[in-house]
Amino acid sequence: MAEEEDEAGFDDDMDDGAGGADGNHGKRKRLFSKELRCMMYGFGDDQNPYTESVDILEDLVIEFVTEMTHKAMSIGRQGRVQVEDIVFLIRKDPRKFARVKDLLTMNEELKRARKAFDEANYGS
Amino acid sequence: MADPARIKTESNSEQSLAAGESPKTEDTEEVPVTSADTESKDTSSQSIIHENKQDSVAEDEGTAGHPASKKLKVEPEKKKDRRQKVDEDEIQKMQVLVSSFSEEQLNRYEMYRRSAFPKAAIKRLIQSITGSSVSQNVVIAMSGISKVFAGEIVEEALDVCEKWGDMPPLQPKHMREAEEQRADPQYKAQEHSLPLSHTCLADYRRTEPSWDVFHLSDSGNLHTTLSCSFSLF
Repeated sequence: MAEEEDEAGFDDDMDDGAGGADGNHGKRKRLFSKELRCMMYGFGDDQNPYTESVDILEDLVIEFVTEMTHKAMSIGRQGRVQVEDIVFLIRKDPRKFARVKDLLTMNEELKRARKAFDEANYGS
Repeated sequence: MADPARIKTESNSEQSLAAGESPKTEDTEEVPVTSADTESKDTSSQSIIHENKQDSVAEDEGTAGHPASKKLKVEPEKKKDRRQKVDEDEIQKMQVLVSSFSEEQLNRYEMYRRSAFPKAAIKRLIQSITGSSVSQNVVIAMSGISKVFAGEIVEEALDVCEKWGDMPPLQPKHMREAEEQRADPQYKAQEHSLPLSHTCLADYRRTEPSWDVFHLSDSGNLHTTLSCSFSLF
């Protein structure tokens, strides 16, 4: 019967083209296990997600970051990753674009607030 | 605007967190009182960002006197006020919503807001690829969009799980199906829970079928030439 084995075979064939079959990442130490568990619960999964699912998600995230980094290195200033490159790369994805704008804006606000706070302290 | 997240509980599901929620990023642990100030500033700067396309008029509060610049000054401020009011409404609605959460929903919401990728690990990962150091903003941006990415996958996998009639926790097959659907939106595979008949071949649907070569073997079984082959009997 065509079930998980066939799906797994099919996936591996497709994933190989994407440059990073699960075999490679299996040797790497798990970087995000704890955080990903909390994240999956927050996004709607069960309170105790399956370890295999967490592993698959970690591999996907690492692949995403790797791909982004490679693309960012190839545009703008070569060999370096800059924020403008990242913003350019996700311009078509409204969610991610809005999120990055929000995060960077908030970071500026916080830096300004901290600086003002420190200066006030220093003055007094 | 910011991440619409679906929080799935037993019976409820809600959508669309407001942009005003973004102040509570990984860095902030402030009490709501202080974040209210930054929120209003945030909305004003947000309104500037979002008005980039329409009116490229910057806020020149420094210019004096000219009627033209006064008129230009009034319009973005009106829009800013309207935008602030809309955001404040959204913030208020969010507060009403969160105050009516059950215990489990509150837990899940807290996990959703507080979970984040460790900046050190992300930085190490990026630097191992580039070979040179990256700025802090890059790490912040990358962690943020990675979290959105993870959220998209989990939401898609939950949809797949529901469509296939399974229950959470999510299984690897749901995650893989979600990733496939993300990569190729036209592709829809269905789980074979029924005994295979020749009509089930239509389950693997694409916009243009790229396989239409079937051969009947001697025994009368029907085989496809796909990499995932299965036999009908």
